[in-house]
Amino acid sequence: MLYTIVLLPVLFLLVLPVLNIVVLTFFDSNLSESIASMSTDLFMLLLKSLAISGIVAFISTFIGIVLGFSLYKSDIKYRNVFRLLILIPLFISPYILAVAWKDISVLIFDIDTSLFKKTYSFIGMILVHSTIYSPLSILIIGSALSNISKQMEESALLIGGFKDMFFKILLPLIRPSIITSFVLILIFSISEFSVPAFLGIRVFTTEIFTQFSAFYNHNLAMLQSLLLIFICVFLLVSERKRISNSVFLSIGTRGKEVKLYSSRKIVIFSYIILSFTIVFTVFVPLSILVYQSFRTGTSKFMEALSLLLPTISDSTLLAILGSIISVFIGFVAAYYSEVLNKKLMNLMLLILFAIPSTIFGIALIKFYNNSILNFIYSSFGILIIGYVGKYSFISTKLIGNSIKQIPKSLEEAAVIQGIGFFKRIRKIIVPLVLPSIFASFIINFLFCFGDLGISIMVYPPGTEIMPIKVFTIMANAPESLTSSMALIVFLVTILLISLLFFIFKKIIAKYNVNY
Amino acid sequence: MQSIMSIIKLKNISHWYSDNRVLDNLNLEIEKNKITYILGSSGSGKTTILRLIAGLEVPDKGEIYIQNIKVSETNKIIVTPDKRQLGYIFQDLALWPHLTVYENISFSLKNMNKSEIEGEVKGILSLFGLDDYLQKFPHQLSGGQQQMVAIARALALKPKILLMDEPLASLDVKSKRKILDYIVSIKEKYDLTIVYVTHDHREAFAIADNIVVINEGKIQESGTAEKIKNSTNDFVKYFIEW
Repeated sequence: MLYTIVLLPVLFLLVLPVLNIVVLTFFDSNLSESIASMSTDLFMLLLKSLAISGIVAFISTFIGIVLGFSLYKSDIKYRNVFRLLILIPLFISPYILAVAWKDISVLIFDIDTSLFKKTYSFIGMILVHSTIYSPLSILIIGSALSNISKQMEESALLIGGFKDMFFKILLPLIRPSIITSFVLILIFSISEFSVPAFLGIRVFTTEIFTQFSAFYNHNLAMLQSLLLIFICVFLLVSERKRISNSVFLSIGTRGKEVKLYSSRKIVIFSYIILSFTIVFTVFVPLSILVYQSFRTGTSKFMEALSLLLPTISDSTLLAILGSIISVFIGFVAAYYSEVLNKKLMNLMLLILFAIPSTIFGIALIKFYNNSILNFIYSSFGILIIGYVGKYSFISTKLIGNSIKQIPKSLEEAAVIQGIGFFKRIRKIIVPLVLPSIFASFIINFLFCFGDLGISIMVYPPGTEIMPIKVFTIMANAPESLTSSMALIVFLVTILLISLLFFIFKKIIAKYNVNY
Repeated sequence: MQSIMSIIKLKNISHWYSDNRVLDNLNLEIEKNKITYILGSSGSGKTTILRLIAGLEVPDKGEIYIQNIKVSETNKIIVTPDKRQLGYIFQDLALWPHLTVYENISFSLKNMNKSEIEGEVKGILSLFGLDDYLQKFPHQLSGGQQQMVAIARALALKPKILLMDEPLASLDVKSKRKILDYIVSIKEKYDLTIVYVTHDHREAFAIADNIVVINEGKIQESGTAEKIKNSTNDFVKYFIEW
């Protein structure tokens, strides 16, 4: 019953808008005209976008393997500090890093020469996306590495050396996670809108946005959207089995002994590579934002603060609401999928997750912008629907992986003792997956709080949320104001995350779930 | 076994996991107030029998009766697990790791006030010498103590039948012996019927009233320990030799 209660709104509020856009596109009387207008140039643009995202996915996954090993398998001190620092780029909205790296380029290089500007843009996008998505790859690959039995590695070390063990045993064993990481980052990168828009690079998502918002060529925009939807859904669904079974975004493993390598060479290499990455991806961009913000005094920072202050409460509230609903839907989908093998909602959320944000935004506009549903379209509700549709799958996977680790007998023992369904969920399942619930809440919060792709398409008139405000102002603002705004968004994000961590840590301690 | 004394009856039970038939037209009667051991090697279907009796699995074919009431039939659960008046001790014990010993035992007690629950839990725990562990979490107990808590939890609802799925497998011989003695004593005290699944025939010979030997989902032999020891069945002879 609970499943149906949750499934119906997911179907009608989230999936139907996507089906609607598919139907509208295919049954449009101007379909042949729209197809004819899709020139070779457009397909070249699609190939270019795929190539850039492919490079990003390759670099990020390679970094994920190297740093995943250093972080999860080498016997280093202060592992948790390194882990936290290395994940920081994942907490930052992509456009914030884009601002920081643009500042760095302005300071170091002369980007006004047109040839370099062109190269800088491509390299800049690859650099920013790789910086942001590498932590995701480290998480996925690190989780897989932590799941490998110690005995498997040790028996390989006895037969061959470290090199043989690494290339012939370890890498093949984590291959599903490597593929998962590559596919996910490819999809994230090709769907991402804010970085190419900020850097002024013409890619497929910006092209769709331009067709929709600047030229009002809705039919062509929808047709282009469908093309990207098909590519993303194809990639994700073809990898679905692997993604479903691999420990995607797991937040820890229980009862497994992990083999740690303490050879001097490996440990020193790990310290160097981890420290370099943290300096390059966290300290350099952050320092440059601070430098740019305060280079001419505090006036620009104060101006940025006064501009952004009114947006903080609405942005936070919306992100919290979106995350609560996403976690609830994610939990229901995960429980029914893992325990009762009902996978329909899981599949729906997977497909919604695969659809690029701007395109999901277009689907929502097309569905909700009418006299009947205008009460949703003209309110914050449309943003919540967008966040929930796009990000609930993250909760499903995180919580699902945790539920998978709960022995079936724990719930069966309660069934035999006559404990009802809701009490079992409340007293047995929820406390046991509490760390995953909180982790998925924080990740969802980060995505909702920093979302630009959906928000920029659907935000109701008069709405002031942080990413929109920053993005609209920074187009014409001086660098110091842009940097100040980026710095404020970064600081607010870190502050809110720290606050959430503090609250959750207290609750987790109360429930004694760190057994 | 005489059917007049039986408390559990399995009639023509067949069960599959995917394409793998684990029980093949099995007929079994469990005598009331006795300790019955189901003995078999890994994958022989012995745990499946317990799960079917408990109602955690639906039989693909056949009928199950508990106290002469039909509780399951082909593809259908008639009486839900919580209404079958039985306790189940899982192989991994299934103690809820985030709840204290007190909370583990009191969790299922209903229609009582706080002081009644407290009295009930303390009463059960004192039987097992666990009075001092009320506020401990399962991971703070030894393996033997965890077994005792699992048994105490199963007895909290005063079941008529206790199903035990090889719960002592991970214990040393001394702890195992101690708990087996407890099992015999609680059987008398609580007027229980115990169905115990194991692959250890020595354990079965030590305390079982009846033993059922199964292999590949079929009963090979059943009866007292003496009868099993003198069985002419090739599988039984081979099994108890080891």
